[in-house]
Amino acid sequence: MFRNYLITFWRNIIKNGVFSVINIFGLAIGLMSCILIMLFVRQESGFDTWLKNHDQLVRMHTTYSFPNQEVFDTVRSAGSMMPAIKNYAKTEIETGVRFIQFNMTVRQNEDVFPEEFTMVDGSFFNVFDLPFIHGSKESSFNKPMDLVITEEVAYKYFGKSDVIGQTLTVCCVAGNTATLTITGVIKNLPNATHLNTDMIVYLQPALFSDNDGMLNTWTSVNVYTYFKLNPGVKITQLQQRINYWLNNESPLTERFAKDAPSGTVTEVFQLKLMAVPDLHLQAKRDAGSMGDLTPLGDRDMIITFIIVAVLVLLIACINFMNLSTAKASKRAREVAMRKVLGASRTQVAVQFLGEAIGLVFLSLLFALVAVELVLPFYNDLLGKDLALLLFDSPSLLLILMLLAICVGIGAGIYPALYLSRFLPGQILKSSKSVESKSSVKFRNILVIFQFATSIILVISTLVVYGQTIFSNNMEVGYERDNKLVLNIQSAGDNLASLKQELLNLPEVTSVTFSSEAPSQDNENNDGFMLLESHEAGIANQSLSMNKYNMGYGFFEAYKVKPLAGRFFDENFGTDTIKTAAKGEMGQASAVINSSALKKFGFSNAQEAIGKTLATNIRGKQHLTIVGVIPDIYFRSIKFGVRASVYTLNPERFRVANISFTTNNMANLINDVESVWKNNVPMQPINLQFLSEMMAAQYHDELTTAQLFLVFSLIAIVIACLGLYGLSAFTVERRTKEIGIRKVMGASVKDIVALLIWQFSKPVVLANLIAWPIAAYLMLTWLEAFPYRMDAIWLVPICLGVGLLSLVIAWSTVGGNAAKVARKNPIKALRYE
Amino acid sequence: MLKLHNLTRVYQTEDVETLALNNVNIEIAQGEFVAIMGPSGCGKSTLLNTIGMLDSPSSGDYIFNDENVAAYSEKQLSVIRKKSIGFIFQNFNLIDELTVAENIELALIYHNIPAAERKSKVEKVMDKVGIAHRAKHLPSQLSGGQQQRVAVARAVVGDQQMILADEPTGNLDSAHGQEVMEMLQALNDEGTTIVMVTHSPAHADYARRTINLFDGHVVTQSVRAAEKTA
Repeated sequence: MFRNYLITFWRNIIKNGVFSVINIFGLAIGLMSCILIMLFVRQESGFDTWLKNHDQLVRMHTTYSFPNQEVFDTVRSAGSMMPAIKNYAKTEIETGVRFIQFNMTVRQNEDVFPEEFTMVDGSFFNVFDLPFIHGSKESSFNKPMDLVITEEVAYKYFGKSDVIGQTLTVCCVAGNTATLTITGVIKNLPNATHLNTDMIVYLQPALFSDNDGMLNTWTSVNVYTYFKLNPGVKITQLQQRINYWLNNESPLTERFAKDAPSGTVTEVFQLKLMAVPDLHLQAKRDAGSMGDLTPLGDRDMIITFIIVAVLVLLIACINFMNLSTAKASKRAREVAMRKVLGASRTQVAVQFLGEAIGLVFLSLLFALVAVELVLPFYNDLLGKDLALLLFDSPSLLLILMLLAICVGIGAGIYPALYLSRFLPGQILKSSKSVESKSSVKFRNILVIFQFATSIILVISTLVVYGQTIFSNNMEVGYERDNKLVLNIQSAGDNLASLKQELLNLPEVTSVTFSSEAPSQDNENNDGFMLLESHEAGIANQSLSMNKYNMGYGFFEAYKVKPLAGRFFDENFGTDTIKTAAKGEMGQASAVINSSALKKFGFSNAQEAIGKTLATNIRGKQHLTIVGVIPDIYFRSIKFGVRASVYTLNPERFRVANISFTTNNMANLINDVESVWKNNVPMQPINLQFLSEMMAAQYHDELTTAQLFLVFSLIAIVIACLGLYGLSAFTVERRTKEIGIRKVMGASVKDIVALLIWQFSKPVVLANLIAWPIAAYLMLTWLEAFPYRMDAIWLVPICLGVGLLSLVIAWSTVGGNAAKVARKNPIKALRYE
Repeated sequence: MLKLHNLTRVYQTEDVETLALNNVNIEIAQGEFVAIMGPSGCGKSTLLNTIGMLDSPSSGDYIFNDENVAAYSEKQLSVIRKKSIGFIFQNFNLIDELTVAENIELALIYHNIPAAERKSKVEKVMDKVGIAHRAKHLPSQLSGGQQQRVAVARAVVGDQQMILADEPTGNLDSAHGQEVMEMLQALNDEGTTIVMVTHSPAHADYARRTINLFDGHVVTQSVRAAEKTA
C-alpha cells in the first residue's frame, strides 16, 4: 500500500510539473524564512546560558526617579554598593564582583593596538567560572594587576596560546605606560554572551583612590555590579532584601528619604536585579541611552520576527492548501476509483495527508540548501554569525522534523479531508465540476488572507523605513555635514599644536573642542541653582540638568544660532571654568538651551541673560548665563531632548570637531592622520565622519526595516506564486465558458478583463481589510518615538501599496488569461 | 442474489428536484447476465450505481445477499462492495499515474492481500484478458480497447461475485466492443453475475434478460429468445 502511495505521489509531482514547482518552491521559501528567523531567535534567546551556574547570576541596575527630574536609568551602579550589599545579604549572596571597563592601548614593537580592558574584583572567576586553557582560577588571579586573556588575544600578540609569564605593555595605568604580566589564558567567549571581557585585570583599588566617582561612591554610577546567589535563593528574595536595606539601613536612607514624597527611598532610587541570561533581551528596559557592555538585543523585535515567521509560513501553507484543493477535481476520479475498489475515507485521507507531508519534507530539503546559501548575506545584514550546523544540534534537527510534520498536517489536512469526502457515485456519474460553492468561497477567503497579510507587511516596512528616514533627516538644530570627529583623549598635552597643525591644512576650516560630539551622549547631570528670583521662576532650588562642555567656536562651527546673548568668546576672558579653592567662589560663563530655559521658568530667552547659576564643578562656581540656544538633538531623536547647560571646562574635552570643505575624502583623512602621527605618535587615531556616527544611531531601526523588507518581499512572492497557480488552474477550468463567450462575440480583451476582474476582487477586499489593521499597528509603533513622521503619510502609503498589489495581481494573472483567451474557441469547446 | 423493492431515488439541487428512479422493482439471480436499456436520462446509470452501492436510494429496499443495504452508510456499503462487486465504466477510469499491472493490483491492495499473492493474481488475470505484454505501460500508452481490457481485469482480479458495466463499449469501435462483450460473456459462463447498461441492442443481446427503463421506472423486461454464440 505504501509503495502504491509513494508511486502515485511521485508520478503526480512529475505530471503536474508547474504546480509542483510552485508548491515546493513556495513552501521552501516559507520554511527558509522560518528557519532563518528561528536561528536568530535561538541565538538571541540563549545568551549567557552557557555560563556555569547561570541561574544563580544576577546584575544590579540603578534608577534615579527624583521628583521634578527626568528618570535616569542605567545598567551600572555605584562602586560602594557591591561590598555593602554582599556584607548585608550574606544569606542570599555567595559572592559579588564589580567591572570597570577601560579603553587602553597595547604596544608591541612599533605598533599600537586599541583594546578594551575589564578591571574586576578578585572574586571575578568565582562569579564567572570561565574555562581556562592555561592556568586556573585558583592559580591565575590572586593579586592586583594579574592579567588573564582569551586565546584569541594570546594568538594575536604571541602567535600561540601558552603565554603565561609573557608581558604586555599597555597605556595607560594612572597616566603612565605599564607592563602587565599574563597569568592565565581562558577559552574564547562564545558569541552568545553580553560579556565583553577579552582582557581581565585584577583590580588595584589604589588606582582609584583620588577618583571619588569610581569605587568609593554611593551615587556615581560607573561600575557594573554582579552577584552570585546562594543555591536555592530566588532573585526576588534578594531584591526584597536590597529594597529593605535601602529603605531602612543603608547610608543613603536618610539622605534620599527626605526627597521622596512618601519618605521611602525606593520611591526615588531603585537598585534593580536582573538575571544574567535575561540581560541581552531585557536590559534595554534599564539601559537608558548609555547602552551596555555589548549591543543589546530587543525582546520586542524578537517577538515581532517570530510573528513575521509564522505569517510567512502561514502564507506558504495557505498556498499549498489552495493549490491542492484546486487540483482536487483532477484527482476526483482517482479518489472515486480508489473508493470503488475498497478504500475507506480514512485511507484516502491518509494517502493525501501523507502526500502533503512528503511534499513538505521535499520542500524542507530545498529550504535547508537555500538557508546555507543565504546565511552569509543574512549574517551581514544582522551583524551576526549564525550557522545552521544541523548535525551538531540534534535538538534543531528534531525541531525541524516536527515543524515539517506540523506544517504538512496543517497544510494538508483540509485538502485531505476535502478530497476524501468525494462520493464515488457523484464523481463517476457526471463529468461536471466537483467543486462545491463552499470550497470556492473558502479558497477565496484564503487568497484574501494571504494578500491582506502581505499588504500589512509591506505597509509596515514602508512606515519603518519612513520613520528611519525621518529620524535621520530631521532638523537637529545644527549643521552636521562636512564634519570629522577626532578623539583627543590620548593626545595629552599636545592639544594646542595639534589644533594649530590641523588648522594649517588647506581643507580644514575650523577645529573646536568639546566633551562630546553630536550622537555621543553622556549621562552627566549636575544640580544648577538659579540665584535670582523672578516672576513665575524657580529660584534657589537646585535643578538637575544635563551638562556639556564646549570649547570656543563650537556653536559657530555647527552653525547654531543663539536665541539671545552670545557664545563663549576668548575676548571676554571670563568664560572658562577654573578650579576654585576651598572657601573661594569660581566665576565662569554658561550657555543654556530652550528646555533649560523652560525648566528655570523664564518666559523668554532675553530674560535669562545675565542671571547666575550656582553649581559645583571643580569647586563652587557661579556661572553667568551669557547665551541661550534652541534645543539641539545630540543623541537619536528617539530619546527626545533634555534641559542642558553648556560650560567651558577644558579638562573635560574629549573630541576635536573638525569642519572641512573638500570632496577628496581620502586626501583629507591622510592629512589628518599625518598631523596626528606627528603630534601623538604612540597612540592610534580614532577618527570618524560625523554623518556616519549619526547614521549609526539608527542602525537598529535600519536593520529592522531591511529585515521587514526582505520578509515582506518573500511574503509577496509566495502570495503571487499562489495566485499564479490558482489563476492558471481556474482559467483552465473555464476553457469551455471562454470558448462559448468567444463564439458569442467576445474579444480577447473582453475575456482577459473578465478573468482579471475575478482575481481583482479578492485583492481589493484584502486591501480594505489590511489598511485599518496596518494603520492601527503602525500608529501604535510610532507612538514610541517622541518625534515621528506625520501620520497622514499612511494614506498615500496604503493607496500606493494597494495599487501595487493590484498591478502585481494583474501581471500574475494576465499572462495566463491572455493565453487561454487567444485559443481557438472550437478547441475549447471540444475540450469537454 | 439481489432484489430492489419500490426503490426511489430523488436528486436535489438548489431549486430543482429530479426523480431519477421511481418505484423500481427488480430481481437479479446469481449468475444472470442482465442488460439495462433506455433513452438518455431515463435513470440507467443511477440504477446501476444504486445496484453497485455507489449511491443510496431515497426510499425503498435493496436486498443484497439477504441483507437490506438501502440505509447503509458509505462505510458499510464500501465493505460489501469491495468484496462482491467489480466495476467497468464507459471511460475506463484507470488511474493515469499507475501502470497496467499497478492499476489491476489496486483492486487487491485495499483487501490486505500479501504482496506475493497479489502479484500472482495480477499476472494470472493479465494473461486471461491478454494484456500481460503491456504490464508496465501507462494508460496513455494504450488504445481504448486495451484500456477497457485492463478495466475488466481490475474488475475480476478479486474474484468478485458480480460485475457492473456502465456502457462498457460506449467509447470503443465495433471490433473492440465485441472483444469486450465476449470477455463479459466468458466471465458470465464461469458464473459471474453481469449487469450491464447499454445503448446497443446488439450488445444487449449478449444478456439473457433486458430491462427497459423510461423516466425512472421499469417499463418492460424481456428474455432473450435464443442463446448467443460467439
